[in-house]
Amino acid sequence: MRDERVEAKREAASLDEPATEARDLAERLGLEPYPVRYWVVDHDEMNELIAYGGFQRRYPHWRWGMNYERQRKKDRHGLGKAFEIVNNDDPSHAFLQESNAPADQKAVITHVEAHADFFANNRWFGLYADRGEGGPNAAARLERNADRIAAIADRSGVDRDVVERLIDAVSALEDTIDQHSPVDAARSVEGPGIAEDVSDADGDALAAIEDRIADLDLTEEVRRDVFDDEWLEARGEGVEPEEPRPDVLAFLRDHGKRYDPDSGKAVDREPWETTVIDALREEAYYFAGQKQTKVLNEGWATYWESVMMGGEGFAGPDEFLTYADHMSRVLGSPGLNPYKLGFELWTHVELRAARRDVIDRLLRVEGVTPENFHSEIDLDEVANALEPHPAIAGAGPATLDELVDLAADGDPRVDAEAVDRALSARDGERPATDGDGETAPDAGPDVERYPWKLLTREGLAERHYVLSRPEHRSALRNVSRETLAERARYMFDVDRYATVEEALDDVNRAAGWDRMLEVRESHNDVTFIDAFLTDEFVREGNYFTYEYSRATEQHRVASVDADDVRKKLLLRFTNFGKPTVVVLDGNFRNRGELLLGHRYNGVALDEAAAKETLKRVFELWGRPVNLATVRVEYSEEALRRAKRRGTEPEGEEVGVRFQYDGGEVTEHDLDPEIRERIAADEIDYDTKPDDWLA
Amino acid sequence: MGLTEDRERFREVGEERREDLSEFISHGDLGGSGPDRVRIPVKIVDLPEFEYDRREAGGVGQGQGGQSQPGQPVEPEPGDEEGDPGEEGGKHEYYEMDPEEFARELDEELGLDLEPKGKRVVEETEGDFTDTARSGPRGTLDVDEFFKRGLKRHLATDFDEAYVREGLRVAGADVDDAFAWARDQGIPVSRAWIADAAATAVDEHGGPVEALDRWESFDELDEEVDREPATHRIRREGLDSVPFRREDERFRHPEVIEKRERNVVVVNVRDASGSMRETKRELVERVFTPMDWYLTGKYDAAEFRYVVHDAEAWEVDREEFFGIQSGGGTKISSAYELVAEILEAYPYDEWNRYVFAAGDSENAGRDTTESVIPLMESIDANLHAYVETQPGGAAANARHADEVEDALGDADDVAVARVSEPDDVTDAIYEILSTEAEGGGATAGEAARERTDGGERR
Repeated sequence: MRDERVEAKREAASLDEPATEARDLAERLGLEPYPVRYWVVDHDEMNELIAYGGFQRRYPHWRWGMNYERQRKKDRHGLGKAFEIVNNDDPSHAFLQESNAPADQKAVITHVEAHADFFANNRWFGLYADRGEGGPNAAARLERNADRIAAIADRSGVDRDVVERLIDAVSALEDTIDQHSPVDAARSVEGPGIAEDVSDADGDALAAIEDRIADLDLTEEVRRDVFDDEWLEARGEGVEPEEPRPDVLAFLRDHGKRYDPDSGKAVDREPWETTVIDALREEAYYFAGQKQTKVLNEGWATYWESVMMGGEGFAGPDEFLTYADHMSRVLGSPGLNPYKLGFELWTHVELRAARRDVIDRLLRVEGVTPENFHSEIDLDEVANALEPHPAIAGAGPATLDELVDLAADGDPRVDAEAVDRALSARDGERPATDGDGETAPDAGPDVERYPWKLLTREGLAERHYVLSRPEHRSALRNVSRETLAERARYMFDVDRYATVEEALDDVNRAAGWDRMLEVRESHNDVTFIDAFLTDEFVREGNYFTYEYSRATEQHRVASVDADDVRKKLLLRFTNFGKPTVVVLDGNFRNRGELLLGHRYNGVALDEAAAKETLKRVFELWGRPVNLATVRVEYSEEALRRAKRRGTEPEGEEVGVRFQYDGGEVTEHDLDPEIRERIAADEIDYDTKPDDWLA
Repeated sequence: MGLTEDRERFREVGEERREDLSEFISHGDLGGSGPDRVRIPVKIVDLPEFEYDRREAGGVGQGQGGQSQPGQPVEPEPGDEEGDPGEEGGKHEYYEMDPEEFARELDEELGLDLEPKGKRVVEETEGDFTDTARSGPRGTLDVDEFFKRGLKRHLATDFDEAYVREGLRVAGADVDDAFAWARDQGIPVSRAWIADAAATAVDEHGGPVEALDRWESFDELDEEVDREPATHRIRREGLDSVPFRREDERFRHPEVIEKRERNVVVVNVRDASGSMRETKRELVERVFTPMDWYLTGKYDAAEFRYVVHDAEAWEVDREEFFGIQSGGGTKISSAYELVAEILEAYPYDEWNRYVFAAGDSENAGRDTTESVIPLMESIDANLHAYVETQPGGAAANARHADEVEDALGDADDVAVARVSEPDDVTDAIYEILSTEAEGGGATAGEAARERTDGGERR
């Protein structure tokens, strides 16, 4: 990166303070981010970084050139200026656009800190990142892949076009991995330390592997445990997985061959080919974490950005408008926007957890039952009681004396040490401990600009308590009797509090944030939406599903039912929004053919794309390849009848097998037994009502 | 290394996999392109992947200001998922070329060979100081030239004085005899000079000039004495003086270089009457749009004017041009009248002009023969073309194309093409664009110049 440029350097220096302070604030709020390195780049460098997926170097491929051209065009037309790009690595690298206004830079830094927390703590990122000492080490790994593949392409014996073609083929399958398992779950031929891509003279892969294992100098025990006969056997020919294998790329890497057009036969791959496949598969796992947590991660970053920027005035008063405008543009972009959906869902998680905490306490007040909850309890009083302490809410130079008093009482909401230093600085006292006078007077924390330095997480939680935000003040009133009854069912110690006041004293203002931290650790987009997209959320957001109507040749609103909306959203996020394709058989028809199965869930494949993809699979298998799927066929009669009645035609689901052997893609009837195996009946994603458009 | 290489490779890959140009023109989506950017879809330059059928998948939307009702039509939002880092974007890419590249490619693909002519003088620049004039600042005086001219003059007036004096010594020769002899010899001497020389000789010898006899006759003199050419004498004696005269002054000044711009005005004319339905309109667009790109690419500057007509004609913007449909009848001459008016702003000696008209050949009564054809003849243009768009063949009463062809088919600046389906489009384009090319750029140009030189018709 050209950080020696004067402009960029100046900008970067001016960001040191916001970066340090944002980190302090983020940690005070309970986040635990990876360290972040900030870089300032001009828009062209930014376009390049975006083209490369957030990294400075990738393996040579035309696709990056295409991404760059696209991004540059967008940039030029002012569509989608990128404020920043951050990669999930330890440390994370965040690249900020030089031209961002100061308020934008601050907003972006707070956003990035939250992303870095997410990277470090979300388990789906862990699938790639948790590989022992080295951590994710993503930039280094990707750079190493870049070097290796570039070196392979430069070899005299290797045709550059052949390398590119191989990359094309693997890239077409980058989403057919097992993203729910760690990257190393499917052991590679390489094994530890066998990354060399040199050609083996003797050509016997199995023997070569055994030699290499011997070279590893492992104890016999470990050797038997890790590289057992079965494992070795699996490197051989004609593998029939008993269970369908979702990691299609790993299967092809381990058992695929190369089709040799001269002999018309499958031949063993050159070791460099396996190296390329393995490198790209590994990168697919890196990006899988991002892809399956888009809503969650962007929503998370947006949420904390709004707390820090808006709630804590991280933007100065003069910058606030710019920031507000920035935020409204991020959230206001049309369509199903991951920032917005995520932000709303996270707020919803927070609100529900906080509300539940309060309800649970109130239901334990003597005499309160789900039935009389709304009449027995004065909810206005509750709302007032939940208002933050004035000194906490208005923490800053003006309330310093009050905070000193609270600190003296050992109030956990106040950072006693910071308050003390602030007080000393204000009153011009030197720190009492330094008698020799050599230490410069402590300026104390800048509580004017960063009042949050006076508070602990508990204090901050009270300051930002969701139930006292104006837009959520009616949340308690709106809680339904059913919800109350349900909560009450799980309660054992029902009569703990004598009065409402007593109950409210116990309220945990951090309940929302605590819950959010838990959720950010374990969820991905699918589980997040499944768990937290409530009926209430769908109703309030006016969400609906749409389907294509054959009768009208248009997309039409199909359903406003929350279950349907959730289902449709899940379709979009499950398996990256792509159909699930698995390996069913590596020795299909006893001829060494590959059989892939599309787990049919009611939504058919794009057949043209599937056929093209199948051709890429052939390049990695070297022998004929098959894809089993189901499609919906409409008979002439059904179409006619539907037309007459003005309804949607009824289709028939038919199993079909596509086969490709290097010539043309051919179509065959699907064996009913295989049809059975590819059915994924758990959810039907079709949300068309029965009497739709009738 | 790195991005530069990846970008180059992308361009190569895009070029390899883009739609064939003829295919694109006949069937492709022309809508993605602008006047200065031709966007040709690339066949799955993006990598294929297993994906859902977009229709089957449906989606989720968010109602604006209220609950949506099932059955209500919606526009799915295609851009929903795009635009985030680390993600691949949309499904297909475009190979972009500028009109220049488009024109080159089309030349190659269709075997066209159109050489645009420079017309309007856009610039007069000062070249080298190679031109001269009789007046100018002293500093630009061409001294060499001045001296040469002086010298030439000197040589022209110089003669061998001794030789001429010998003429006076011929027996019995007087001044007139000597003068006649000298002039006969081509000696640039005046009679006055000889008379003067005779007077001097008489003074020296004290006798009449006739008495100074050294030679029997002029013939003897010629035989005995060799005349010395002036050049020899100058070489021998040196140049005493060169007569400088004002009329020999030449002043250098720079040569004027005219840069002629290859500029073109294209008037696209389209029948918008009731009979021009969707498919016909689309065919017109398919023929005209690539021709516009082509000419934009071929010429340095291109202007486009768009005229639609039914029984009357009016000018529209490009955006409206292909879409308009009016209800009225048809009178094609109305359009040519407007074309003539428009072209007044583009004098033919300054502009290349193309008039492309399209319609379904239906025209009112005898409008074609009585009005349109004379108008076409009277409007100077590199090329007049008529494109008949008649899906399923021409109707019996639609005679415009035939009549134009009968009357002007032999002219090398008139082309008639017929298009009944998208597959005919490239042939029509070839037919039209090769007409002028075949006519030979030079001859057509020459003819045009003669015509304009011969006097403006309007």
